[in-house]
Amino acid sequence: MDAVLKVEGLKKNYGNLQALKGISFQIQKGEIFALIGPNGAGKSTALRIIATLLSPTEGKVEVLGHDLRKEPEKIREKISYLPEEAGAYRNQRGVEYLRFMANFYATEPEETKEFVKRGAQIADLGERLYDKIGTYSKGMVRKLLLARALMGQPHLAILDEPTSGLDVINSLEIRQTIREYVKQGTTVLLSSHNMLEIEFLSDRVALIDNGVILDSGTPKELKEKYGANNLEEVFRRAVI
Amino acid sequence: MRKFWNLLKKETKELINAQLIISLIFTFFLFYLMGTLAQGEMAKAAAPQEIAVLDLDSSELSRGIMNGLSSANFKVIALTTEDRQSAIEQARESGASLLLVIPRGFGKSVLELNSMSIDTYYFIRGFSMSATSASGMVKAVIATVNNYISDTYIKERLPGVNPEELKNPVKNKDYVIVKDRIAEGSPAEVSSFILSQSTFLPIILMLIIVYSSQMVISAVAMEKENKTLETLLTVPINRNYIVVAKMLSSGIVGLVTAGIYMVGFRFYMSGFMGNVPTSGQIDTVVQKLGLAFTPQGYLVLGVSLFLAILCGLAMAIILGVLAKDLKSAQGLLMPIIFLALIPYFISLFSDFNSLSWPVKVLLWIIPFSHPFLASQNILLGNYLPVFYGIIYMFVIFAILVFLAARIFSSDQVLTMKLQLSRRSLKGIKQ
Ligand SMILES: Nc1ncnc2c1ncn2[C@@H]1O[C@H](COP(=O)(O)OP(=O)(O)O)[C@@H](O)[C@H]1O
Ligand SMILES: [Mg+2]
Repeated sequence: MDAVLKVEGLKKNYGNLQALKGISFQIQKGEIFALIGPNGAGKSTALRIIATLLSPTEGKVEVLGHDLRKEPEKIREKISYLPEEAGAYRNQRGVEYLRFMANFYATEPEETKEFVKRGAQIADLGERLYDKIGTYSKGMVRKLLLARALMGQPHLAILDEPTSGLDVINSLEIRQTIREYVKQGTTVLLSSHNMLEIEFLSDRVALIDNGVILDSGTPKELKEKYGANNLEEVFRRAVI
Repeated sequence: MRKFWNLLKKETKELINAQLIISLIFTFFLFYLMGTLAQGEMAKAAAPQEIAVLDLDSSELSRGIMNGLSSANFKVIALTTEDRQSAIEQARESGASLLLVIPRGFGKSVLELNSMSIDTYYFIRGFSMSATSASGMVKAVIATVNNYISDTYIKERLPGVNPEELKNPVKNKDYVIVKDRIAEGSPAEVSSFILSQSTFLPIILMLIIVYSSQMVISAVAMEKENKTLETLLTVPINRNYIVVAKMLSSGIVGLVTAGIYMVGFRFYMSGFMGNVPTSGQIDTVVQKLGLAFTPQGYLVLGVSLFLAILCGLAMAIILGVLAKDLKSAQGLLMPIIFLALIPYFISLFSDFNSLSWPVKVLLWIIPFSHPFLASQNILLGNYLPVFYGIIYMFVIFAILVFLAARIFSSDQVLTMKLQLSRRSLKGIKQ
């Protein structure tokens, strides 16, 4: 099987602080892979590096065979990234934002239209899609941003805490959306500090703490290995 | 290219928001209104002024004086009373701003060359601009009277002599020299022309630099504040395009904004200056002296201006990255405004060549000085320093853009603010 993403010995220092201390993992095509761990574990740092925003201190990252250091532009064409804390241009209408972003990925106007149409479906905002983003609630913005990330059917979608700051209902909707649209060929790398919600969403998870990957596998494998009922218990036992 | 247009369109749209349009309209109308008001005042001041005259002398000379005043564009109201007090009352009621009292025996005494005084009373009825021209008016009236009397005297004693030639026997012809060109014309007119040319340009320049820098700095800071920058930086478009699109859109919007303000400002200024019909001669004199901008001159000045704007934009974009949000970005703009103000004020109040060495060097280092200096140098035909200035600005711009692009493709664009706040936190602890 082809690995969409290969990470080997990835380290990142912020000054004296070692945020990542050499992590390695691979994601196969069509997988939903989750980095789970507490706040400050280094999840966002890892995702930002893979999304070409930060440069690694050490280690190797490859997306579909493109080296992160040598061909960041190539990687940007293949991925889409949903930041943990993100906003959209408040003066744009939802549909304008989708069109603006789609134009960067589409190669012709027809394709832009197709992307926007799919984005509108994913966002599921009805008529509100034609309102100014400044009038949206937090949940609506997050849905719009998720739609933006998935509409172009990227090879790799990098979603940093896709449900962060949302209520139970909105989180559930977002999880369902991710699962539905991933069926169509996108590979997903996501992060979460909510270990329970991840269990139902991911094919495989890696437990990360203090810049180190403690263990990884399918939720089922991990629960059996640690004799736990859920991933939260797995994590607690893995830390010790 | 399609992607770049997409970006440029969005950047421009972001900048043209309701706030900008409202403040534009507001400022424009404010200028317009003030200009119209000033124009009205100037018109009032220029209209023939009313003078009340109490002629106690009733001689041929005093009647002649009244005619002389009429032909000098004053509106004379002859009063018929005999005593001053009621004359003042009548003058007050008539609305005239000046009362002239010609005493008894004035004509006889003056023609015998015994000078005698005419009393004038000026009514101050307000503090508007026409009221401030009081002393000018009194002077003009007395000059008219004196002229009339001396002309009459000369005609009487020396018939056949033209009083004008007797009073001003020497005539002069003015020439002005600039470099190796000579033209006949008044030096006062020529230098006021140069001044008007070289004050108008700096104001435009100042406005454009300030507005476009403000645009670009808020364009970057807004991306940070709205948390859209991270997403934008992962989009498949060359990072340099992001920098250029922001600079270009801000440059364009800043240019248009400054242009609209300028039109408003022109209204305002023309209100004060009045549409003074400059003697048609000044144009030909200036042309002869080579003081008018030639098409090449305009081109060189345009290049100089453009580079100064680009330097401002590049500086602003770097400062914008440093800013945490829109508010702190506005504060960071101050250094740029300052840098643009220094050459502006120096060019207004002083001449570059007469400055001391340290100040000259300081001005040279500031990229924004060069278009100010260029506008004067080009008029005077000194192209060499202008070209040096252009080269210097180009080098500075290249360095700044290189820096900006470096920052945009490094971690700093996202972590800069964090590092800053950490440093300041450390400072507090120590
Ligand atoms: N820009 C930055 N500068 C300095 N330290 C940072 C920066 N971003 C994150 N960190 C530090 O790196 C560590 C990992 O952070 P992060 O990757 O955001 O964790 P997570 O996303 O798992 O909560 C934390 O200790 C955080 O304080
Ligand atoms: Mg995080």
